[in-house]
Amino acid sequence: MRPRSAVKVLLLALLLFAVPVSYGAAEESVVVIVNSSNSIESVSTSYIKKLYKNRLLKWPSGVPVTLYDLAEEDPVREVFSKAVLGKPSYRVAERWAHLKITNQAKNPPFTMKSQSLIIRRVSREKGAIGYVLRGSVKDNSSVRIVSTIR
Amino acid sequence: MLRRRSYSVYTLSIILLFLFAVAMPAGATSDTERIERLERELKELKKGVAEAEAEGEEVRHKLGLIGRAVDVSGYADVELILTDQKEQNNRFRVRHLSLFFTKEIVKGWKLFTEIEYEDAPLFRANTGADTVNTAQGDVYVEQMYVEYRRSLDLDFRVGRVLTPAGIWSIYHYPPYVPTQSNPIMYKLLFPKVSDGLQVRKSFTINDSPLDTHLYVANGAGNPGRLDRNGNKAIGGRINYSIDLLDGLDLGGSFYGERDNDDIRRATYGAHLLLNLDRLSLQSEYAVRHNSPPGSGTDYDDKGLYAQLTYHKDRWGFTGRYDWFDENNTLSTGDRYRYTGAVNYNIAHNLVGKAELSRNNFDDPATDDYNELIFAIVVAIGDL
Repeated sequence: MRPRSAVKVLLLALLLFAVPVSYGAAEESVVVIVNSSNSIESVSTSYIKKLYKNRLLKWPSGVPVTLYDLAEEDPVREVFSKAVLGKPSYRVAERWAHLKITNQAKNPPFTMKSQSLIIRRVSREKGAIGYVLRGSVKDNSSVRIVSTIR
Repeated sequence: MLRRRSYSVYTLSIILLFLFAVAMPAGATSDTERIERLERELKELKKGVAEAEAEGEEVRHKLGLIGRAVDVSGYADVELILTDQKEQNNRFRVRHLSLFFTKEIVKGWKLFTEIEYEDAPLFRANTGADTVNTAQGDVYVEQMYVEYRRSLDLDFRVGRVLTPAGIWSIYHYPPYVPTQSNPIMYKLLFPKVSDGLQVRKSFTINDSPLDTHLYVANGAGNPGRLDRNGNKAIGGRINYSIDLLDGLDLGGSFYGERDNDDIRRATYGAHLLLNLDRLSLQSEYAVRHNSPPGSGTDYDDKGLYAQLTYHKDRWGFTGRYDWFDENNTLSTGDRYRYTGAVNYNIAHNLVGKAELSRNNFDDPATDDYNELIFAIVVAIGDL
Protein backbone atom coordinates (compact mmCIF):
# COMPACT_ATOMS: atom_id res chain seq x y z
CA MET A 1 0.00 0.00 0.00
CA ARG A 2 1.35 3.43 -0.99
CA PRO A 3 1.72 6.03 1.77
CA ARG A 4 -0.88 8.31 0.11
CA SER A 5 -3.43 5.52 -0.06
CA ALA A 6 -2.72 4.65 3.56
CA VAL A 7 -3.42 8.25 4.56
CA LYS A 8 -6.69 8.18 2.61
CA VAL A 9 -7.78 4.97 4.30
CA LEU A 10 -6.84 6.38 7.69
CA LEU A 11 -8.81 9.60 7.04
CA LEU A 12 -11.80 7.59 5.84
CA ALA A 13 -11.66 5.42 8.95
CA LEU A 14 -11.46 8.53 11.17
CA LEU A 15 -14.36 10.12 9.31
CA LEU A 16 -16.52 7.00 9.64
CA PHE A 17 -15.70 6.84 13.31
CA ALA A 18 -16.10 10.56 14.05
CA VAL A 19 -19.20 11.50 12.03
CA PRO A 20 -21.78 9.38 13.86
CA VAL A 21 -20.46 10.58 17.22
CA SER A 22 -20.67 14.33 16.44
CA TYR A 23 -23.96 13.92 14.58
CA GLY A 24 -25.50 12.22 17.57
CA ALA A 25 -24.41 14.95 19.97
CA ALA A 26 -25.36 17.93 17.87
CA GLU A 27 -28.46 16.67 16.14
CA GLU A 28 -30.54 15.21 18.96
CA SER A 29 -34.08 16.44 18.50
CA VAL A 30 -35.45 19.31 20.56
CA VAL A 31 -39.03 18.51 21.52
CA VAL A 32 -41.84 20.59 22.98
CA ILE A 33 -43.57 19.00 25.96
CA VAL A 34 -46.82 19.60 27.81
CA ASN A 35 -48.40 18.03 30.85
CA SER A 36 -49.87 14.61 30.09
CA SER A 37 -53.32 15.80 31.22
CA ASN A 38 -53.35 18.43 28.45
CA SER A 39 -55.81 17.29 25.78
CA ILE A 40 -53.65 18.74 22.99
CA GLU A 41 -52.03 15.93 20.99
CA SER A 42 -49.79 18.01 18.76
CA VAL A 43 -49.17 21.68 18.04
CA SER A 44 -47.67 23.53 15.10
CA THR A 45 -44.57 25.70 15.31
CA SER A 46 -46.68 28.80 14.67
CA TYR A 47 -48.95 27.89 17.60
CA ILE A 48 -45.94 27.51 19.90
CA LYS A 49 -44.68 30.88 18.66
CA LYS A 50 -48.01 32.46 19.57
CA LEU A 51 -47.79 31.01 23.07
CA TYR A 52 -44.18 32.13 23.58
CA LYS A 53 -44.98 35.61 22.26
CA ASN A 54 -48.01 35.91 24.59
CA ARG A 55 -50.37 36.21 21.66
CA LEU A 56 -52.29 33.36 23.27
CA LEU A 57 -52.53 33.16 27.05
CA LYS A 58 -54.77 30.12 27.47
CA TRP A 59 -55.07 26.62 26.07
CA PRO A 60 -58.23 25.82 24.09
CA SER A 61 -59.55 24.19 27.28
CA GLY A 62 -59.30 27.57 29.07
CA VAL A 63 -56.38 26.56 31.29
CA PRO A 64 -53.82 29.42 31.58
CA VAL A 65 -50.51 28.73 29.84
CA THR A 66 -47.32 28.57 31.93
CA LEU A 67 -44.21 28.99 29.80
CA TYR A 68 -40.82 27.54 30.61
CA ASP A 69 -37.53 28.60 29.07
CA LEU A 70 -33.91 27.57 29.48
CA ALA A 71 -31.18 30.07 30.35
CA GLU A 72 -30.23 32.53 27.61
CA GLU A 73 -26.84 30.89 27.02
CA ASP A 74 -28.19 27.32 26.82
CA PRO A 75 -27.59 25.85 23.32
CA VAL A 76 -30.99 24.10 23.38
CA ARG A 77 -32.68 27.49 23.91
CA GLU A 78 -30.71 28.89 20.99
CA VAL A 79 -32.06 26.10 18.76
CA PHE A 80 -35.61 26.72 20.03
CA SER A 81 -35.40 30.51 19.69
CA LYS A 82 -34.11 30.43 16.15
CA ALA A 83 -36.42 27.66 14.94
CA VAL A 84 -39.62 28.80 16.63
CA LEU A 85 -39.28 32.52 17.32
CA GLY A 86 -37.01 33.30 14.39
CA LYS A 87 -34.51 35.23 16.51
CA PRO A 88 -31.32 34.42 18.47
CA SER A 89 -32.01 33.85 22.15
CA TYR A 90 -30.28 37.05 23.31
CA ARG A 91 -32.70 39.12 21.21
CA VAL A 92 -35.66 37.24 22.65
CA ALA A 93 -34.23 37.76 26.16
CA GLU A 94 -33.84 41.47 25.38
CA ARG A 95 -37.49 41.71 24.33
CA TRP A 96 -38.67 40.02 27.54
CA ALA A 97 -36.41 42.24 29.63
CA HIS A 98 -37.96 45.29 27.92
CA LEU A 99 -41.48 44.06 28.64
CA LYS A 100 -40.60 43.15 32.22
CA ILE A 101 -38.82 46.41 33.03
CA THR A 102 -41.87 48.31 31.78
CA ASN A 103 -44.23 45.97 33.64
CA GLN A 104 -46.09 45.22 30.43
CA ALA A 105 -45.28 41.50 30.19
CA LYS A 106 -48.50 39.55 30.42
CA ASN A 107 -47.18 36.04 30.84
CA PRO A 108 -43.37 35.93 30.74
CA PRO A 109 -41.67 32.53 30.68
CA PHE A 110 -40.00 31.17 33.81
CA THR A 111 -36.33 30.59 33.13
CA MET A 112 -35.04 27.26 34.45
CA LYS A 113 -31.44 26.24 34.84
CA SER A 114 -31.85 22.70 33.51
CA GLN A 115 -34.01 20.51 31.36
CA SER A 116 -34.69 18.21 34.34
CA LEU A 117 -36.31 21.11 36.14
CA ILE A 118 -38.45 21.96 33.13
CA ILE A 119 -39.59 18.34 32.89
CA ARG A 120 -40.35 18.33 36.59
CA ARG A 121 -42.43 21.51 36.38
CA VAL A 122 -44.26 20.49 33.20
CA SER A 123 -45.08 17.09 34.70
CA ARG A 124 -46.65 18.84 37.72
CA GLU A 125 -48.48 21.82 36.18
CA LYS A 126 -51.55 21.34 34.03
CA GLY A 127 -51.01 24.34 31.74
CA ALA A 128 -47.23 24.13 31.46
CA ILE A 129 -45.22 23.95 28.26
CA GLY A 130 -41.47 23.67 27.80
CA TYR A 131 -38.82 22.32 25.46
CA VAL A 132 -36.04 19.80 26.07
CA LEU A 133 -33.88 17.28 24.24
CA ARG A 134 -35.86 14.21 23.19
CA GLY A 135 -33.58 11.84 25.09
CA SER A 136 -34.35 13.49 28.40
CA VAL A 137 -38.08 12.65 28.26
CA LYS A 138 -37.82 9.13 26.87
CA ASP A 139 -40.21 6.81 28.76
CA ASN A 140 -41.59 9.71 30.83
CA SER A 141 -45.37 9.23 31.02
CA SER A 142 -46.09 12.43 32.96
CA VAL A 143 -45.31 14.67 29.99
CA ARG A 144 -46.33 14.47 26.35
CA ILE A 145 -44.29 15.45 23.31
CA VAL A 146 -46.47 17.68 21.14
CA SER A 147 -43.92 18.90 18.62
CA THR A 148 -40.45 18.13 17.36
CA ILE A 149 -38.45 21.23 16.60
CA ARG A 150 -35.53 19.59 14.84
CA MET B 1 10.15 -26.81 4.05
CA LEU B 2 8.98 -23.20 4.23
CA ARG B 3 5.84 -24.00 2.19
CA ARG B 4 5.01 -26.93 4.52
CA ARG B 5 5.39 -24.67 7.58
CA SER B 6 3.07 -22.03 6.01
CA TYR B 7 0.55 -24.76 5.28
CA SER B 8 0.65 -25.84 8.93
CA VAL B 9 0.13 -22.26 10.10
CA TYR B 10 -2.90 -21.81 7.81
CA THR B 11 -4.40 -25.12 8.99
CA LEU B 12 -3.88 -24.21 12.64
CA SER B 13 -5.41 -20.77 12.09
CA ILE B 14 -8.51 -22.25 10.45
CA ILE B 15 -8.95 -24.73 13.32
CA LEU B 16 -8.60 -21.95 15.91
CA LEU B 17 -11.06 -19.72 14.04
CA PHE B 18 -13.52 -22.60 13.87
CA LEU B 19 -13.22 -23.29 17.60
CA PHE B 20 -13.56 -19.57 18.39
CA ALA B 21 -16.62 -19.30 16.17
CA VAL B 22 -18.26 -22.30 17.81
CA ALA B 23 -17.53 -21.03 21.30
CA MET B 24 -18.57 -17.42 20.48
CA PRO B 25 -22.41 -17.47 20.69
CA ALA B 26 -22.58 -18.50 24.34
CA GLY B 27 -19.96 -15.93 25.44
CA ALA B 28 -21.43 -13.24 23.23
CA THR B 29 -24.88 -13.80 24.62
CA SER B 30 -23.75 -13.49 28.21
CA ASP B 31 -21.72 -10.38 27.33
CA THR B 32 -24.69 -8.85 25.56
CA GLU B 33 -26.91 -9.53 28.56
CA ARG B 34 -24.33 -8.02 30.87
CA ILE B 35 -24.01 -4.92 28.69
CA GLU B 36 -27.77 -4.55 28.54
CA ARG B 37 -28.04 -4.90 32.30
CA LEU B 38 -25.27 -2.33 32.80
CA GLU B 39 -26.98 0.02 30.36
CA ARG B 40 -30.24 -0.31 32.28
CA GLU B 41 -28.44 0.38 35.54
CA LEU B 42 -26.65 3.36 34.00
CA LYS B 43 -29.95 4.74 32.74
CA GLU B 44 -31.51 4.40 36.17
CA LEU B 45 -28.49 6.05 37.75
CA LYS B 46 -28.64 8.93 35.24
CA LYS B 47 -32.34 9.33 35.94
CA GLY B 48 -31.64 9.41 39.66
CA VAL B 49 -28.90 12.00 39.25
CA ALA B 50 -31.17 14.19 37.07
CA GLU B 51 -33.97 13.92 39.65
CA ALA B 52 -31.57 14.80 42.46
CA GLU B 53 -30.25 17.77 40.44
CA ALA B 54 -33.79 18.97 39.73
CA GLU B 55 -34.74 18.56 43.38
CA GLY B 56 -31.67 20.55 44.43
CA GLU B 57 -32.38 23.29 41.90
CA GLU B 58 -35.97 23.53 43.01
CA VAL B 59 -34.93 23.90 46.63
CA ARG B 60 -32.40 26.57 45.64
CA HIS B 61 -35.10 28.28 43.53
CA LYS B 62 -37.51 28.31 46.47
CA LEU B 63 -34.80 29.53 48.83
CA GLY B 64 -33.95 32.19 46.30
CA LEU B 65 -37.57 33.33 46.17
CA ILE B 66 -37.71 33.44 49.94
CA GLY B 67 -34.38 35.25 50.04
CA ARG B 68 -35.63 37.76 47.53
CA ALA B 69 -38.49 38.98 49.66
CA VAL B 70 -38.37 42.17 47.59
CA ASP B 71 -37.19 42.03 43.97
CA VAL B 72 -34.79 44.80 43.08
CA SER B 73 -34.16 45.77 39.50
CA GLY B 74 -33.67 48.94 37.48
CA TYR B 75 -31.17 50.64 35.21
CA ALA B 76 -28.37 53.19 35.16
CA ASP B 77 -26.61 55.18 32.48
CA VAL B 78 -23.69 57.56 32.09
CA GLU B 79 -23.25 59.94 29.17
CA LEU B 80 -20.58 62.07 27.57
CA ILE B 81 -22.27 65.00 25.82
CA LEU B 82 -20.51 67.15 23.24
CA THR B 83 -22.60 70.10 22.11
CA ASP B 84 -22.44 73.44 20.35
CA GLN B 85 -25.61 74.66 22.03
CA LYS B 86 -25.33 78.18 23.44
CA GLU B 87 -24.50 78.39 27.15
CA GLN B 88 -23.97 74.64 27.38
CA ASN B 89 -20.65 72.91 28.01
CA ASN B 90 -19.33 69.61 26.87
CA ARG B 91 -19.85 67.41 29.89
CA PHE B 92 -20.21 64.03 31.51
CA ARG B 93 -23.66 63.33 32.85
CA VAL B 94 -24.41 60.69 35.46
CA ARG B 95 -27.94 60.68 34.14
CA HIS B 96 -30.12 57.94 35.62
CA LEU B 97 -30.04 55.61 38.54
CA SER B 98 -33.48 54.14 38.60
CA LEU B 99 -34.35 51.50 41.18
CA PHE B 100 -37.40 49.29 40.97
CA PHE B 101 -38.71 47.45 44.00
CA THR B 102 -41.34 44.77 43.48
CA LYS B 103 -43.01 42.90 46.26
CA GLU B 104 -45.47 40.06 45.72
CA ILE B 105 -47.79 40.58 48.68
CA VAL B 106 -50.05 37.56 48.22
CA LYS B 107 -50.97 35.65 45.09
CA GLY B 108 -52.28 38.14 42.53
CA TRP B 109 -51.35 41.26 44.53
CA LYS B 110 -48.11 43.15 44.20
CA LEU B 111 -46.55 46.48 45.04
CA PHE B 112 -44.30 48.14 42.47
CA THR B 113 -42.22 51.26 43.01
CA GLU B 114 -39.71 53.07 40.84
CA ILE B 115 -37.46 55.59 42.51
CA GLU B 116 -35.45 57.68 40.13
CA TYR B 117 -32.27 59.53 40.93
CA GLU B 118 -31.44 61.84 38.06
CA ASP B 119 -28.11 63.65 37.70
CA ALA B 120 -26.64 62.02 40.83
CA PRO B 121 -28.55 64.22 43.28
CA LEU B 122 -27.04 65.79 46.34
CA PHE B 123 -29.10 67.35 49.10
CA ARG B 124 -27.23 68.95 51.97
CA ALA B 125 -28.79 70.55 55.02
CA ASN B 126 -27.41 73.30 57.23
CA THR B 127 -26.00 71.92 60.44
CA GLY B 128 -28.51 72.46 63.21
CA ALA B 129 -31.30 73.37 60.81
CA ASP B 130 -33.79 71.37 58.76
CA THR B 131 -33.56 73.56 55.68
CA VAL B 132 -31.82 72.29 52.60
CA ASN B 133 -28.74 74.35 51.95
CA THR B 134 -27.83 73.05 48.52
CA ALA B 135 -29.51 70.70 46.10
CA GLN B 136 -28.70 69.38 42.68
CA GLY B 137 -30.32 66.68 40.59
CA ASP B 138 -33.74 65.14 41.16
CA VAL B 139 -35.13 62.37 43.29
CA TYR B 140 -38.67 61.36 42.57
CA VAL B 141 -41.12 58.53 42.69
CA GLU B 142 -41.73 57.81 39.03
CA GLN B 143 -44.12 54.97 39.72
CA MET B 144 -45.77 53.53 42.78
CA TYR B 145 -48.81 51.36 42.50
CA VAL B 146 -50.57 48.37 43.93
CA GLU B 147 -51.54 45.84 41.30
CA TYR B 148 -54.25 43.24 41.48
CA ARG B 149 -53.93 40.67 38.74
CA ARG B 150 -57.26 38.95 38.28
CA SER B 151 -55.99 36.75 35.43
CA LEU B 152 -53.29 36.78 32.76
CA ASP B 153 -55.42 39.12 30.66
CA LEU B 154 -56.90 41.41 33.30
CA ASP B 155 -55.28 43.54 35.97
CA PHE B 156 -55.95 46.70 37.98
CA ARG B 157 -53.38 49.24 39.12
CA VAL B 158 -53.96 52.00 41.60
CA GLY B 159 -51.35 54.64 42.40
CA ARG B 160 -48.90 56.37 40.07
CA VAL B 161 -48.36 54.74 36.67
CA LEU B 162 -46.62 55.72 33.47
CA THR B 163 -49.36 57.20 31.33
CA PRO B 164 -50.30 54.49 28.86
CA ALA B 165 -50.18 56.39 25.58
CA GLY B 166 -48.60 55.46 22.27
CA ILE B 167 -45.30 53.57 22.48
CA TRP B 168 -42.57 55.78 23.92
CA SER B 169 -44.57 56.80 27.01
CA ILE B 170 -44.47 53.16 28.14
CA TYR B 171 -41.43 51.70 26.38
CA HIS B 172 -38.76 54.34 26.94
CA TYR B 173 -36.19 52.80 29.31
CA PRO B 174 -32.66 53.55 28.05
CA PRO B 175 -31.35 49.94 27.96
CA TYR B 176 -34.05 49.04 25.45
CA VAL B 177 -34.45 52.10 23.24
CA PRO B 178 -31.89 53.09 20.61
CA THR B 179 -31.43 56.74 21.62
CA GLN B 180 -30.67 58.55 24.86
CA SER B 181 -32.68 61.56 23.76
CA ASN B 182 -36.44 61.15 23.79
CA PRO B 183 -38.66 62.17 20.87
CA ILE B 184 -39.55 65.85 21.30
CA MET B 185 -43.27 65.10 21.66
CA TYR B 186 -42.70 62.75 24.63
CA LYS B 187 -44.27 64.22 27.81
CA LEU B 188 -45.49 67.36 25.97
CA LEU B 189 -48.81 66.02 24.68
CA PHE B 190 -49.60 63.16 27.04
CA PRO B 191 -48.42 63.54 30.66
CA LYS B 192 -45.49 61.39 31.74
CA VAL B 193 -47.26 59.88 34.76
CA SER B 194 -50.81 59.66 36.02
CA ASP B 195 -52.01 59.30 39.60
CA GLY B 196 -55.19 57.27 39.65
CA LEU B 197 -56.74 53.93 38.74
CA GLN B 198 -55.92 51.92 35.63
CA VAL B 199 -57.48 48.78 34.18
CA ARG B 200 -55.66 46.62 31.64
CA LYS B 201 -57.59 44.05 29.66
CA SER B 202 -56.48 41.91 26.71
CA PHE B 203 -58.80 40.35 24.18
CA THR B 204 -57.88 37.78 21.57
CA ILE B 205 -59.17 38.41 18.08
CA ASN B 206 -58.16 35.98 15.32
CA ASP B 207 -55.36 34.60 17.50
CA SER B 208 -53.96 38.14 17.90
CA PRO B 209 -54.11 40.20 21.08
CA LEU B 210 -55.98 43.47 21.40
CA ASP B 211 -54.56 45.15 24.51
CA THR B 212 -56.50 47.93 26.16
CA HIS B 213 -55.77 50.39 28.97
CA LEU B 214 -58.41 52.56 30.56
CA TYR B 215 -57.71 54.97 33.40
CA VAL B 216 -58.99 57.82 35.49
CA ALA B 217 -56.45 60.19 37.08
CA ASN B 218 -56.00 63.52 38.82
CA GLY B 219 -54.67 65.06 35.63
CA ALA B 220 -51.38 66.54 34.47
CA GLY B 221 -49.71 68.88 36.95
CA ASN B 222 -51.39 67.32 39.98
CA PRO B 223 -48.76 65.15 41.58
CA GLY B 224 -49.10 63.32 44.87
CA ARG B 225 -51.60 64.89 47.24
CA LEU B 226 -51.92 68.03 45.10
CA ASP B 227 -55.17 67.73 43.20
CA ARG B 228 -55.68 71.38 42.34
CA ASN B 229 -59.15 71.03 40.92
CA GLY B 230 -62.10 68.71 41.27
CA ASN B 231 -61.89 67.49 37.68
CA LYS B 232 -60.57 64.11 36.79
CA ALA B 233 -58.71 63.18 33.64
CA ILE B 234 -59.69 60.11 31.68
CA GLY B 235 -57.61 58.24 29.16
CA GLY B 236 -57.30 55.05 27.21
CA ARG B 237 -55.07 53.17 24.84
CA ILE B 238 -55.64 50.28 22.46
CA ASN B 239 -53.02 48.25 20.67
CA TYR B 240 -53.64 45.46 18.19
CA SER B 241 -50.74 43.11 17.44
CA ILE B 242 -51.16 41.49 14.06
CA ASP B 243 -49.17 38.46 12.97
CA LEU B 244 -48.17 40.13 9.73
CA LEU B 245 -44.61 40.13 8.40
CA ASP B 246 -42.54 39.81 11.60
CA GLY B 247 -45.12 41.61 13.71
CA LEU B 248 -47.24 44.69 13.20
CA ASP B 249 -48.65 46.72 16.10
CA LEU B 250 -51.25 49.39 15.45
CA GLY B 251 -52.97 51.49 18.06
CA GLY B 252 -54.46 54.68 19.32
CA SER B 253 -54.57 56.72 22.55
CA PHE B 254 -56.80 59.34 24.12
CA TYR B 255 -56.40 61.68 27.09
CA GLY B 256 -58.86 64.33 28.20
CA GLU B 257 -58.88 66.76 31.11
CA ARG B 258 -59.67 70.26 32.26
CA ASP B 259 -56.35 71.46 33.66
CA ASN B 260 -55.51 73.73 36.59
CA ASP B 261 -55.87 76.84 34.37
CA ASP B 262 -59.33 75.63 33.36
CA ILE B 263 -58.17 74.89 29.82
CA ARG B 264 -59.98 71.89 28.35
CA ARG B 265 -57.42 69.64 26.68
CA ALA B 266 -58.12 66.61 24.53
CA THR B 267 -55.21 64.61 23.11
CA TYR B 268 -55.50 61.95 20.40
CA GLY B 269 -52.63 59.80 19.22
CA ALA B 270 -51.90 57.02 16.75
CA HIS B 271 -48.92 54.66 16.77
CA LEU B 272 -47.36 52.00 14.62
CA LEU B 273 -44.61 49.43 15.15
CA LEU B 274 -43.57 47.22 12.27
CA ASN B 275 -40.90 44.52 12.33
CA LEU B 276 -39.60 43.07 9.12
CA ASP B 277 -36.61 40.77 9.37
CA ARG B 278 -33.76 43.04 10.57
CA LEU B 279 -35.73 46.26 10.23
CA SER B 280 -38.10 47.86 12.68
CA LEU B 281 -40.13 50.98 12.08
CA GLN B 282 -41.70 52.87 14.97
CA SER B 283 -43.80 55.97 14.60
CA GLU B 284 -46.21 58.08 16.61
CA TYR B 285 -48.38 61.07 15.86
CA ALA B 286 -50.43 63.01 18.39
CA VAL B 287 -52.44 66.20 18.46
CA ARG B 288 -53.75 68.04 21.48
CA HIS B 289 -56.70 70.38 21.11
CA ASN B 290 -56.69 73.17 23.71
CA SER B 291 -59.82 75.18 24.54
CA PRO B 292 -59.11 78.07 26.91
CA PRO B 293 -62.03 79.36 28.99
CA GLY B 294 -63.96 82.50 28.06
CA SER B 295 -63.06 84.22 24.83
CA GLY B 296 -59.66 82.57 24.40
CA THR B 297 -58.88 81.11 20.96
CA ASP B 298 -58.61 77.37 20.58
CA TYR B 299 -55.28 76.03 19.35
CA ASP B 300 -53.54 72.72 18.69
CA ASP B 301 -50.17 71.27 19.69
CA LYS B 302 -48.90 68.52 17.41
CA GLY B 303 -46.01 66.08 17.36
CA LEU B 304 -44.64 63.32 15.20
CA TYR B 305 -41.63 61.05 15.07
CA ALA B 306 -40.64 58.20 12.78
CA GLN B 307 -37.76 55.93 13.72
CA LEU B 308 -36.18 53.22 11.59
CA THR B 309 -33.72 50.71 13.06
CA TYR B 310 -31.62 48.11 11.27
CA HIS B 311 -30.39 45.23 13.46
CA LYS B 312 -27.26 43.36 12.51
CA ASP B 313 -26.13 40.80 15.08
CA ARG B 314 -25.46 42.84 18.22
CA TRP B 315 -25.42 46.15 16.34
CA GLY B 316 -28.34 48.48 15.83
CA PHE B 317 -28.34 51.45 13.43
CA THR B 318 -31.13 53.98 13.90
CA GLY B 319 -32.35 57.09 12.16
CA ARG B 320 -35.16 59.24 13.55
CA TYR B 321 -37.08 62.27 12.37
CA ASP B 322 -38.80 64.42 15.00
CA TRP B 323 -41.21 67.29 14.64
CA PHE B 324 -43.16 69.25 17.21
CA ASP B 325 -45.44 72.23 16.71
CA GLU B 326 -46.32 74.10 19.87
CA ASN B 327 -49.45 76.13 19.19
CA ASN B 328 -50.42 75.94 15.54
CA THR B 329 -51.66 79.53 15.52
CA LEU B 330 -48.06 80.73 15.82
CA SER B 331 -45.69 80.54 12.88
CA THR B 332 -42.56 80.14 14.98
CA GLY B 333 -43.54 77.22 17.20
CA ASP B 334 -42.08 74.40 15.09
CA ARG B 335 -39.04 72.40 16.18
CA TYR B 336 -37.25 69.62 14.29
CA ARG B 337 -34.66 67.06 15.26
CA TYR B 338 -32.73 64.63 13.05
CA THR B 339 -31.01 61.85 14.95
CA GLY B 340 -28.64 59.09 13.91
CA ALA B 341 -27.58 56.46 16.48
CA VAL B 342 -25.43 53.36 16.68
CA ASN B 343 -25.97 50.80 19.46
CA TYR B 344 -23.84 47.83 20.39
CA ASN B 345 -25.40 45.26 22.73
CA ILE B 346 -22.60 43.77 24.78
CA ALA B 347 -25.34 41.67 26.41
CA HIS B 348 -29.11 41.97 26.47
CA ASN B 349 -28.78 44.15 29.58
CA LEU B 350 -25.65 46.13 28.67
CA VAL B 351 -25.44 48.50 25.72
CA GLY B 352 -23.06 51.12 24.38
CA LYS B 353 -24.53 54.00 22.35
CA ALA B 354 -23.32 56.79 20.12
CA GLU B 355 -25.84 59.33 18.88
CA LEU B 356 -25.66 62.50 16.81
CA SER B 357 -28.56 64.92 16.54
CA ARG B 358 -29.27 68.13 14.70
CA ASN B 359 -31.85 70.43 16.33
CA ASN B 360 -33.59 73.13 14.26
CA PHE B 361 -36.03 75.82 15.40
CA ASP B 362 -38.39 78.01 13.38
CA ASP B 363 -38.19 80.61 16.14
CA PRO B 364 -35.40 83.02 15.11
CA ALA B 365 -34.68 83.73 18.77
CA THR B 366 -33.50 80.16 19.31
CA ASP B 367 -30.26 78.98 17.73
CA ASP B 368 -30.01 75.62 16.01
CA TYR B 369 -27.48 73.26 17.56
CA ASN B 370 -25.83 69.87 17.23
CA GLU B 371 -25.27 67.31 19.95
CA LEU B 372 -23.16 64.18 20.14
CA ILE B 373 -23.84 61.72 22.96
CA PHE B 374 -21.84 58.68 23.97
CA ALA B 375 -23.47 56.50 26.61
CA ILE B 376 -23.10 53.25 28.47
CA VAL B 377 -26.35 51.84 29.79
CA VAL B 378 -26.97 48.90 32.06
CA ALA B 379 -30.14 47.15 33.24
CA ILE B 380 -30.00 45.36 36.57
CA GLY B 381 -32.02 42.65 38.26
CA ASP B 382 -33.82 39.54 37.16
CA LEU B 383 -35.14 40.72 33.80
